[in-house]
Amino acid sequence: MTKSTLLRKQAKAQVSGKLEQLRVVIEHASHLLPGQGPITAFVHHNTLHAFEDLPFEQAVVEGGKTFGCHPYLPENRYREKLARNRIRPEDIEAVLIDDLGPRADELLGFLGTRFHLRMGMLAHPLQTGPAAELRWVVAETDALHRFREETPRTVRDRLVDITRRWVMRDLRNGSQPENCDLRIRELVNKLFDRFDKPQVESWEEATWEAFCLHLLWLICRDGVQKVAVAKQSKPPSVRHRDWLLDATGEDSDLLTHDVMIRFCAAFLDQGFSSWPLPRCEGFFNTFVEQYGQTFGPPNRWQRGLRRQLVRIRNESTTPLESIAESLEYLGVLEEEQEEFVTQTLLALSGYAGMIWQVESNSDRVAHPAPEGTLIEFLAIRLLLDRFAIGNVSRKSLGYTGPLSELREHIGKRTEIDSEAQVEQRAFLVFQLSQLLGWDSETLYQLPAEGWSTLVREIEAFSGLERRRIYHLAFERQYRNQTLDAVAIHSRRVWKDSQSKTTSERLRPIFQIVCCIDDREESFRRHLEEVDPQCETFGAAGFFAIAMYYRGVAEAHYTPLCPAIIKPKQYVDEDVVYSFEKAGEQRRRRQRLIGTVTHRSHLSSRTFAGGWLAAVFGSLASIPLVMQIIFPRAASRIPGIFGNLFLPPVLTKLQLERSEALPGQEPGHIGYSVPEMAEAVERVLRDIGIKNIFSRLFIVCGHGSSSLNNPHESAYNCGACAGARGGPNARAFAQMANDPRVRKLVSDHGLQIPKDTVFVGAYHNTCDDSVEYFDLELLPTTHKEDFAKVQKVIDVSRARNAHERCRRFQSAALDFSLDEALRHVEGRANDLSQARPEYNHATNALCFVGRREWSRNLFLDRRAFLQSYDPKQDDENLTILTRVLQAAVPVCAGINLEYYFSCVDSAGWGAGNKLPHNITSLLGVMDGAASDLRPGLYHQMIEIHEPLRLLFVIETTPEAILKIMEADEGIAKLIHGHWVQLATLDSDSAEIHLYQNGKFSLYQPTIAELPECGCSADWYRGWRNHLGFAQVSPSISKQVGKS
Amino acid sequence: MSTETMFFVLGVAVVTSPAALVAVLGIPPLLGRRLTEQTMNRYTYASTVIGLLASIAILAIMLIADTRFVPIELGNWVVIPQQHFHFHLKFVFDRLSVPFVILSFLLCGVVGAFTSRYLHREPGYGRFYVSYSFFTLGMIITSLAGTIEVLFLGWELVGLSSALLVAFFHERPTPVRNGIRVWSVYRLADAAFLVAAVAMHHLTGAGDFSSLMGSGHWPAGQAVLTSHQALLVGLLLLTAAAGKSALVPFSGWLPRAMEGPTPSSAIFYGALSVHLGAFLLLRISPILELSFALSATVVAIGLITAAYASITARVQTDIKCALAFASLTQVGIIVAEIGLGFRYIALIHIIGHASLRTLQLLRAPTLLHDYHTLENAIGGHLETETSFLGRLVPAPLRDWFYRFALERGYLDSLLDECVVHPFRRIFQWCDARERSWTDWLSGGQSRASDEVKSHSEIVEELRL
Repeated sequence: MTKSTLLRKQAKAQVSGKLEQLRVVIEHASHLLPGQGPITAFVHHNTLHAFEDLPFEQAVVEGGKTFGCHPYLPENRYREKLARNRIRPEDIEAVLIDDLGPRADELLGFLGTRFHLRMGMLAHPLQTGPAAELRWVVAETDALHRFREETPRTVRDRLVDITRRWVMRDLRNGSQPENCDLRIRELVNKLFDRFDKPQVESWEEATWEAFCLHLLWLICRDGVQKVAVAKQSKPPSVRHRDWLLDATGEDSDLLTHDVMIRFCAAFLDQGFSSWPLPRCEGFFNTFVEQYGQTFGPPNRWQRGLRRQLVRIRNESTTPLESIAESLEYLGVLEEEQEEFVTQTLLALSGYAGMIWQVESNSDRVAHPAPEGTLIEFLAIRLLLDRFAIGNVSRKSLGYTGPLSELREHIGKRTEIDSEAQVEQRAFLVFQLSQLLGWDSETLYQLPAEGWSTLVREIEAFSGLERRRIYHLAFERQYRNQTLDAVAIHSRRVWKDSQSKTTSERLRPIFQIVCCIDDREESFRRHLEEVDPQCETFGAAGFFAIAMYYRGVAEAHYTPLCPAIIKPKQYVDEDVVYSFEKAGEQRRRRQRLIGTVTHRSHLSSRTFAGGWLAAVFGSLASIPLVMQIIFPRAASRIPGIFGNLFLPPVLTKLQLERSEALPGQEPGHIGYSVPEMAEAVERVLRDIGIKNIFSRLFIVCGHGSSSLNNPHESAYNCGACAGARGGPNARAFAQMANDPRVRKLVSDHGLQIPKDTVFVGAYHNTCDDSVEYFDLELLPTTHKEDFAKVQKVIDVSRARNAHERCRRFQSAALDFSLDEALRHVEGRANDLSQARPEYNHATNALCFVGRREWSRNLFLDRRAFLQSYDPKQDDENLTILTRVLQAAVPVCAGINLEYYFSCVDSAGWGAGNKLPHNITSLLGVMDGAASDLRPGLYHQMIEIHEPLRLLFVIETTPEAILKIMEADEGIAKLIHGHWVQLATLDSDSAEIHLYQNGKFSLYQPTIAELPECGCSADWYRGWRNHLGFAQVSPSISKQVGKS
Repeated sequence: MSTETMFFVLGVAVVTSPAALVAVLGIPPLLGRRLTEQTMNRYTYASTVIGLLASIAILAIMLIADTRFVPIELGNWVVIPQQHFHFHLKFVFDRLSVPFVILSFLLCGVVGAFTSRYLHREPGYGRFYVSYSFFTLGMIITSLAGTIEVLFLGWELVGLSSALLVAFFHERPTPVRNGIRVWSVYRLADAAFLVAAVAMHHLTGAGDFSSLMGSGHWPAGQAVLTSHQALLVGLLLLTAAAGKSALVPFSGWLPRAMEGPTPSSAIFYGALSVHLGAFLLLRISPILELSFALSATVVAIGLITAAYASITARVQTDIKCALAFASLTQVGIIVAEIGLGFRYIALIHIIGHASLRTLQLLRAPTLLHDYHTLENAIGGHLETETSFLGRLVPAPLRDWFYRFALERGYLDSLLDECVVHPFRRIFQWCDARERSWTDWLSGGQSRASDEVKSHSEIVEELRL
């Protein structure tokens, strides 16, 4: 081997090592991209999942900096809550004392204690802004003429008096000016020029007030000038685009994104466009082929792009090499490489994130992207950036040198504007002086160190810190209210249970298990109110049946289980044998209608087909007008026609397989009996059923159906990964009715009586309908029971609709039950309805424990309810562990996604829904073209209160600590305070609250809860959030008309 | 009551009902009174129903009395005797305007009803309805205009309200940028329109369509221009129509206008605004007959637009742009029909297309729901197949056409590079000259504005 080949090899190894490092950097950056997959299977997850290793309060700030979003609500929103008593002053005090610890009582000279200062700063809004704005406020408003209106009269009078005395005594020209007073003389003389000095003795009150404020302002400005200029904390950007934008106001990303958005959408398209992108191998090559063609777009900024692409093709440059080349071309240093790559990817984070999702979860989409697409995306992006940056710097800066030196050319980016800082600091001190009564003389006497302390103290409690304190106070308010309610209620329940001598429990009329979803809380409450002798449970809505399911009229298998589980079994829905012919007929007709509709839709967008469609298009005006003006009636027409032409078809689930292994092939579809028994036993154990079964046991899945809603799947069952949970309930009922399954279950000590029948049901949370499955299999002996239960459920769902209607501004507050039901049905079928339902909005609480503790407590649809009985659990807490393993991440994911989408709707969330434009069947853009918008849209979260979820778990602190030790995922969320946690001891009804790493006993702050006869008595006539109340059927009055 | 009085009363009702809506929705906010959503809906509903019923009544009486032409004269509003100019407010009900007015009321009414729920609780609710009422008024005035000045009045109202509705979400930069783009294309079209109006005045002495078109009523009019005059006026009006209807080469604004809320998109591109150019051509169709070159140009532009749009529509990946280009395909065909002299077919085509597209646009947010339903009905992924024509093109050319369509036919880039860029260069040159001149005069820096920096101070509350 010669020396030169050795060297070449070494160089090659070095290069490939560099490229490998680059790959790692990109992979690392990809974790920051939004984790939301295609919109058709919306799974709620923590928006800041990438920051879960940090504690919450630190993560929101770090995440906020990375993504440029707000960590908390804007200050004025908290202040509105303060005004409406959603935050109480005592909460702020308590939180502040807790936050400051021993530093609270430190004395800061005339400022009082630190606690006092901060309370003062929280009490009223402090205005700030760019220096130009403050100058305007000072010059043009009456800021220097009138005290702020929040200033108490006494404070105002005192300040004016002190100034007056000071002026008359020392400053008017009485005493000899001493050296130290020269400065104040100067200031005052300037002022006297403006005021009528000779008449000083007969000045009116208002003139003194104005003079006082003028002097105060001058002294504040004068004082803060003595303070050293602070370095501003704007995160330095490494992207050339940001430097250019700052220097010239021109955004080079507009050019790049124009091409990138169109190309990415075409590349990711899941079958929308009728002419798909002619793909070569991968993103990079496809782009090179497409844009390497001759006669391209005549855009000035793209000149030379073709030459580059042809070169890349000829030299067969790889995407990673191209990235390295671009980085070098742009002069990106090695140490800023990671930052640069991250910021570049985040500039179009929606598409980058979707590419990453489609690439890494390729089984979830019809047209996946090959591995490495994100790298190729970055390569193309940087290539385009080079041209865009070059163009903008040439056009707006006249810079034609190498781009690697562009940033040096632009020069120091953020010089600190010390003048603006003086203005801003002075104005803060000026406002605080008025609010807290600091007089000008004291301020004037303050030495330079005093001013430094003052400014440091004020700036230490910046807007961000104030928002954090407000937020903690806001959470404390709800937490205390909740724990008080739970304490009072549980003590009562506990006393009742102690006083009961017989432990004999009556057999309930019927039992029902619903999803833990917060929307089912009210449904369950109403069931219990309508028939107090029923018993309700909550379990994760896939009912331990993780399956791929295909309905009789469905084209594909859908996974029906939480997103973290990958199902093994497949289940089909088939038409029953005797209806097979009718079913086949129906399917043919459906296919025909479907094909015709699809064709006519597509061809209405083409040349000739469109012509035909348009000539007959006036016929379209009939359904158009119908659907807009009478949505509910219009939705029924197809149903009526369907029934007219086609006989009803019965279906059954193909639930049991004959072969050993599960799979998609005939014979492999379905479960084995032991697998069924395992699922059944698991749910019944989880909910802690205690061997008391009623004659009818309803298993109720849920989902939601609505129009005008690209995010429709986000409204479905979270435990079914954004699908509808009806089939799970149906399958569970069918399994539990199987005598072989019961035999196996009873072998494990869980006796299901012979006369207990399980019935599957499906609750549509949007129109509040409930449908039942396999009623033809119901034994004759149970017909009567079922009729009764159905009546109870029908009343309950109407009541549920009624309770939901209070939240809808377009529903009158005095609706009857029937009107409410009609209203929600109309909403679900309304093409123009932007809020079919409110989904999980307002969720704030998760209750894990026996229903006794929360039964008859009005929880305002804010609580996830998971049934669990610690008495049934073993020493290793097997049941609680597996229950929490599902409930904590899922509920926290939902809650945190709501939190972030709510505190910054445009940043973390998807913004306003109205301009949303569905693209590539994958996501939504704003208007004609924008980045993809992950997160929740504004209309979904508008009534939400961003609070971290409060878990109240019926167990002991020791048990939770044990589980946290064993399960890292749960521990991370609890330790990092991503969720709040309290335990309820079932033996003593005591509550322990987990804070700052330890449990402490919670002392209730109130002794009584309001009582009402039924829920409607409590919520009637009220749209906003409601407090807790005990529902005592003993003082019941009848609601509504029916 | 004689038929004439009835016509007059009803005709005035048709025009005043949207005008009154503008007043009741627009004036209270100016006086500082905010209307509730319910009040606005009630007014909108009343105005649309009154207008719709009155126009249907006129149609009925016209059919019974067998009249084909009902002029409503509201007198001269501006008279400048020296210049022989009078602004004559005149509305005409004939076979063209009556269907168009009924269509406008119907679709605006539907969109109004749709919006009442769609925009519920939106901060810009009132703003939307004010723009909407201007839009309706503009549509009615344009459809009924009996003189070219009145038509221009309505045309401008439609243009202004459209641009404002495109920029409805003015808190984000893109809608505003695109709104301005739409507005500047409209201005270009309006300038052509205005020149055409002046030319017509100059040539025929009045802007009245009936004196221009001679004796017959639409569509049987006979224009009184020579073929050359017709070509000149016709080309100007064609430019105006092309701008308004997004014909080639102005098509670039149409997808950009998709920034507004869905119902406003529905009324511009699906339904009404985008057909206004075609309507204008229909209105002046007697002129088209006079010049073969003119009709040929109209047909050519129509067909080119249709071909361009149908290719481009096929590659769109988002529902709104796909529908925008689909609309444009049909508008191109309509224009070609007008050029070929098929006026009734064009009219029927407009009405049918408007209804269909409105429905499709209003359903656009439900796309995923509908796709899912269809997939289930068909029992598999929805197939896309290349069109018959597409298969005939050889593969490399097909790739080229794909990018051509993806880049929207380069139309925007062409306008930017060939029109905007030279224009800007000229003015920048002028600006540089002026600066050196004033600098020389003042002997130093002459512009205070050069010194002002864009301030990038950080205000913590606004952004982290």
